[in-house]
Amino acid sequence: MKSYDVIGFEDLLGDVTPGDLILIYGPPKVGKSIFCYQFLYSGLKGSEPCLYIAADYGSRQLEQRMMEFNWFLQPHIQNGEVYIIDLLTRLAGIKVEDSASVKFSSAQNLADLMVKVGVGTRELFRKSSKFRAVLDSLTIIFAFNPPNLVLRLMKAYKTRVSEANGIGLVVHTTGTVEPQFESSLMELVDLKIFFDGENIQVESSTGKRSAKYTITSEGIKYWGLEG
Amino acid sequence: MIVRIASGIPGLDELIGEERGSLAENTVTLVYGPPKVGKSIFCYQFAYEGFRSDEPCLYISADYGLNELERSISNFGWKFDEYRENFYIIDAISTISGLEVESRDNYFPSSVHNPTDIMVKLGMAIRQIASKSHRFRSVLDSLTTLMAFNDELLIVRVLTVYIMRIKESGGTAIVTYTEGSADSKVENMLKAIVDNIIHLDGEKLTIEAMVGSGKITASYNITSNGMIVE
Amino acid sequence: MKKTYIPKLDDILGGGIIDNASVMFSAVPGVDSEAFGYQMLHGRLKDGDKGFIYTNVAEPETITYEFNSYGWDLQKFLENGDAFFVDGSSPFLGLPSTAKYTIEDYSKMEKVIMEAIEDVPDGIGVINNLSTIIDYLGEDETIKIIKKWNLHGKKHNTSLIYLFTKWDYNTGLVEKVKRSMDCVIEVKTIEERVIIGQGFMVAHSSWSKPSNTMVLFFVVQPGGIKVYIPKILVTGPYNAGKSTFVKRISKRSVSVDRKALSAFPTTIALDIGHLEYKGFIADIFGTPGQERFDLLLDVLGRESVGAFIIVDSTAPETFGRAKEMIRKTRAEAIPKVLVANKQDLSGALSPEEIREKMKLGKDIPIIPAIVTEGKGVTDALDALLGLLYGD
Repeated sequence: MKSYDVIGFEDLLGDVTPGDLILIYGPPKVGKSIFCYQFLYSGLKGSEPCLYIAADYGSRQLEQRMMEFNWFLQPHIQNGEVYIIDLLTRLAGIKVEDSASVKFSSAQNLADLMVKVGVGTRELFRKSSKFRAVLDSLTIIFAFNPPNLVLRLMKAYKTRVSEANGIGLVVHTTGTVEPQFESSLMELVDLKIFFDGENIQVESSTGKRSAKYTITSEGIKYWGLEG
Repeated sequence: MIVRIASGIPGLDELIGEERGSLAENTVTLVYGPPKVGKSIFCYQFAYEGFRSDEPCLYISADYGLNELERSISNFGWKFDEYRENFYIIDAISTISGLEVESRDNYFPSSVHNPTDIMVKLGMAIRQIASKSHRFRSVLDSLTTLMAFNDELLIVRVLTVYIMRIKESGGTAIVTYTEGSADSKVENMLKAIVDNIIHLDGEKLTIEAMVGSGKITASYNITSNGMIVE
Repeated sequence: MKKTYIPKLDDILGGGIIDNASVMFSAVPGVDSEAFGYQMLHGRLKDGDKGFIYTNVAEPETITYEFNSYGWDLQKFLENGDAFFVDGSSPFLGLPSTAKYTIEDYSKMEKVIMEAIEDVPDGIGVINNLSTIIDYLGEDETIKIIKKWNLHGKKHNTSLIYLFTKWDYNTGLVEKVKRSMDCVIEVKTIEERVIIGQGFMVAHSSWSKPSNTMVLFFVVQPGGIKVYIPKILVTGPYNAGKSTFVKRISKRSVSVDRKALSAFPTTIALDIGHLEYKGFIADIFGTPGQERFDLLLDVLGRESVGAFIIVDSTAPETFGRAKEMIRKTRAEAIPKVLVANKQDLSGALSPEEIREKMKLGKDIPIIPAIVTEGKGVTDALDALLGLLYGD
């Protein structure tokens, strides 16, 4: 059993270029968020800062979940290498204040989210010519907004991130909205990665490839690459 | 390092292979399955386990009013009387069935028709609990009943607020749901927004998702002493 | 007439807005439009008018907190009843609300806002946000409702301020919405890969003459919306004609000279000018040409929103230096125009030849010019404005 980990990217994703928007999708609880933490962390290790929109959990939960894999986010937050936009913590009813690297917005105020995405992309673009962006995930955003508006948000997010030459990720749980919205989402992205619990399928304009995966204490490990 | 707490279901914690417990602290677990498979019993045991360690439990009950709850619990031989001051109950059902319930400490009457009021009572209860304890348990039984009386997506949003409030104040929660009772898109959303998922089907208990653990299946039984996992 | 309390906006609108005007701020995603609505409301409240905020995107508490961060005390107006909220956000989340009006679902929205308008005669109502309404109710329903609200506003002499985020709606819809308003103010971004600035301009107003002035602004906390006077850099190798260019484009300019070395005719100083052209206002900074002043270039370049690079078309040996100065002033990250000066002299290379030699991308306009005669100067200005404002 040969194992590649996602830090390499080359074997699995091959044709990802800056400016691309990648869709991570699949049923609930298959490891999509873990892929995001890993994407964030391996970028940081390679000096690529990251804009992280935490839409399914708060910034504190993000740090905690990453610690379980021994990925420590705090030093990178202090260094301004991560720009987190937290959409949920305000709902907890406590007073939160924006800091330099962690901004609080709301799942129902998409215009405000885009203002912060604009500021975040500018700051990261000035730090590094290569940066990453993650939106994990659309699930709660779909619960808080009309689906059409969420698709509009996606177009604006894609434009903003690709203009600044970032590689963008967006996560979607299948079966949470009507099929026509899922299709529109698929049409918007440059690369699709499907997780089903055991297999991962990567689909781009140049073709398809698949591999097996498993979640370990060190993150997701892949093997058995085909295609 | 994931801190785990005891579930209160004999056999379940050992299944995950951890000494201290199975449910990761500060997470929300969805317990779901067909009707009458023991979801509520799971909740009683979870709450009772907390009481034994002097942990308060914030119990939102939309299916059974206080009187019925106390009756069911005493049928299993558990003595809630000893732990009354740790049992905070938001009773969302007694008022609408016109039942008389004696007012007492830690008792918050509400209504399934009014999720906003349930959230107000949640806030009040959390404040009282937080002044006593930095860790606590919570139960929401069940989402199905709330969705029967309200727009399903509104309940998804209310659940999101509930989850954030519980986590921010140091709680660990169980929420129950009857499989297939809501729109499938909503059901998928529920599974996506919780941290852990346990499925009960009457005979088998399946841990479909658990922070830091894989998928596990085992048999279980409901005895006169409650649910036991083999 | 009522003031808008947004700097420069009252001037452009001929003094302010008519009392019962319907005004829409149409902002592209990424620009903060909420500040406009809130600043107008705050100004009117301080002047003694009553007002309300209808929100379907943020809870009243969050908005009050936002006002505080701008240094505006909304709480006292809420307490004395001069201001109130129409809360369409809290019920949506299942959260309690203490607002005067709550809207549990969109079927009740139209009527509640009508009542709110009646509660603030001669006052102001802010609708935040129109886009959410359109995506919930659909175009036709929304336009019908807007028209009814605007009519009601006219009847009670209430100004209605709509905040609209211009997501990718089809242009037909956007046009219809704009037409139903007395006044539309576009709020845009200035971009060079990322958002480097924001500006507002009046697209139309039923009571004032059209103007294509774009006012650049920034939002400070505390303070609110402030006019931003950008820096435009004029750089390039020495003797290319930078000083002359600065003088030509500025209404008034100053050369900050170090007279100690006045024996030398070259500028070893900073040319500073002030530009007002087609409604665009900027401060012009001309950089010194000699390398020993290159330390200044980084500092000057830092807050510039655009740059002119002046080169002597007859001196290709200076092109390398020109590229170096582009790099040192960080002009590679902002919109820029190359001015190919001294086109009148023999041996002057054409813009295409210069592009070839300098290997400049097609996104950088090269404008032929004879700066001493003023030729090509307005073309260069137009080219830079075109880059700054897109469209």
